[in-house]
Amino acid sequence: MQGWLTGERLKCAVGRGLTGERLKRAARWPGRAGLLIAAVPLLLALLGPLIAGDAGPRTASFTLGGGHWLGTDFVGRDVWRQILLGGQSVVLVALAATALAYAIAVPLGLAAALTHRAWLEELLMRPLDVLLAIPSLLLILLVAAVFSPGAAGLALLVALVNIPDAARIVRAAASEAAARPAVEALRMQGETWWRTAVGYVGRSALRTFAADAGVRLTGVLYLVATAAFLGVGVEPDAADWAVMVDRNRTGLFVQPWAVVVPALLIVALSMGGNLFFDALLEREDGENRKPPRPHPKPFRQYFRYFRYFRYLRYFPRHTKEGRR
Amino acid sequence: MTGGVVGDSVGTAEALGAAEVVPSRTARARSVPAALLRSWLARRVLLGVAQTAAVVLLVFALTEALPGDAAVALAGDQPDPARIAAIRTELGLDRPAAERFADWVLGLLHGDLGTSLASGRPVATYLADGFGPTLLLAALTVVLLVPAGVGLGVLAARRAGSLADRLVSSATLAVYAVPEFALGVLLVTLFALRLGWLPPTAVGFGGDLLAHPAVLVLPVLVLLSRPVCSISRLVRAGMIDALRSPYVRQATRYGLSTARVRYLHALPNALAPAAQQLARTVDWLLCGVIVVEALFVIPGLGTVLMNAVAERDVPVVQGLAVVFGVIAVVLNLGADLVARRLAPRAGVAA
Repeated sequence: MQGWLTGERLKCAVGRGLTGERLKRAARWPGRAGLLIAAVPLLLALLGPLIAGDAGPRTASFTLGGGHWLGTDFVGRDVWRQILLGGQSVVLVALAATALAYAIAVPLGLAAALTHRAWLEELLMRPLDVLLAIPSLLLILLVAAVFSPGAAGLALLVALVNIPDAARIVRAAASEAAARPAVEALRMQGETWWRTAVGYVGRSALRTFAADAGVRLTGVLYLVATAAFLGVGVEPDAADWAVMVDRNRTGLFVQPWAVVVPALLIVALSMGGNLFFDALLEREDGENRKPPRPHPKPFRQYFRYFRYFRYLRYFPRHTKEGRR
Repeated sequence: MTGGVVGDSVGTAEALGAAEVVPSRTARARSVPAALLRSWLARRVLLGVAQTAAVVLLVFALTEALPGDAAVALAGDQPDPARIAAIRTELGLDRPAAERFADWVLGLLHGDLGTSLASGRPVATYLADGFGPTLLLAALTVVLLVPAGVGLGVLAARRAGSLADRLVSSATLAVYAVPEFALGVLLVTLFALRLGWLPPTAVGFGGDLLAHPAVLVLPVLVLLSRPVCSISRLVRAGMIDALRSPYVRQATRYGLSTARVRYLHALPNALAPAAQQLARTVDWLLCGVIVVEALFVIPGLGTVLMNAVAERDVPVVQGLAVVFGVIAVVLNLGADLVARRLAPRAGVAA
């Protein structure tokens, strides 16, 4: 529980003279509110396709009422059904792109952090520095001008754009862990590279990776939704919240629901996600955790003391001898 | 009594070290050896040059050197091999890629961005057409961004943990990640449709946006939304750290006014990371301009780019991408130099 009250949060709380339960509550609310806000669009995106049902007959475009709870869209489809179907692509493409970016950035960053050869580190990281300055949406549009990337292509593109920054963060977190004496000890014991890199350094930095991946996910979500709004990686009449906002804009005066509801869902998803993941990141930053042991202690060793159990009754815990 | 004496002696002891603790601007700049500064400068400029080269190379590689070239894209509805071959010869795509690249780069060096496939007009005229509205939007945004971001950051940092701080921090954190198009559409629905205060799009106002300031309110507001959040959060964090530092405490003990301590001593240190972020937000601003121009139908560079993408007019896309990319590289370089000037001790990239 104290984990919520660290770093910047703790400083704020102490500055206000808060103590005890009130302090904990004040520090915790943005993350919880975020989870609550993001839950609605997330549930709609994941469960929506299961309850969407069959497509009804198409009617006139941009109508209100007539058995359609939220009216009809620009080609006369039921807006509520489109909303149920339209979250999946946004969320899945964003998740896939984040996972893909990390799948490439983690080995890259770990290799750069653990190598003893300066030229190799330069070779791995310098090209990424060079790429960092190029605007991300520009790169996506550039490719879209020549190819017509589908959903998988969009995920790949967004992942590529995110690799330089992710690799830098992985390298920073990993080199902090790689500088510990434990790594030197592992090396001198002749442990394999795999065991040192993955078993110790990777494991130490795992929580930093996870927190960064969360924040990165909201950035990726932004790019995926914006690209879809601009018509990259989606069919022009796809069931996708961003595409719905774009295509139904022409009927905004007649039928605002077809635009406002998907826009609200995207806003809620990104707002809530950012609040939640930032709370996780803050918790991660503030905590002064013990680094993991280089070798996990064998469980067996705890049984060594069993034979002394019978003496416990002579030294009950609250006495001086018992406490020793 | 004794307490007072002890306090005084502590104060004197710290005052002795005060020359180190509150260095003047010039002393700080001089404390970095000149040779080190020069080599850092040389490395940073070299990185900028490499980045520019990478932009040019990447733009060419992505649009021309990969399979599935412009000819196939242009043929579009009639993927007839003879027609594709004809287009290819016409565009000179049958020459080796290295030769075309050399030609294109030579043209770029002379300021020749090529000619449009769709209309045959030089790409430079497209740039000239769309430049005005985009520059207006970007300039207005940056001019408003700095006072808004710094003001919000300082407001929040004045008393960390106060109601104002919590409101500003939560709001900036929440808005930070919201895509511009979703926010923009909601603002249009509220202010243009419900309340009728502002026009929903720039349609019907022509290119002369400055004569109708009401048109610009919503686009600039939407463009500001993300950068303001990132800058105010950075200023707040930097300010809180600076206000807790020994030199600020020392300056307060000297009896300097709160305003002077806050704005002349603490704020410059808080601005260094913000100056760098200002350049990073150029990336967002370029993305934002494209989206905002599409959303509010403003005839700027973003609209030109989106039209070119839709028509698969590769030379126009290339030209715009090079211009956008080089602007981003130059602004990043400038921001690193400014950040280095404001806080020379902080390790700046490269």
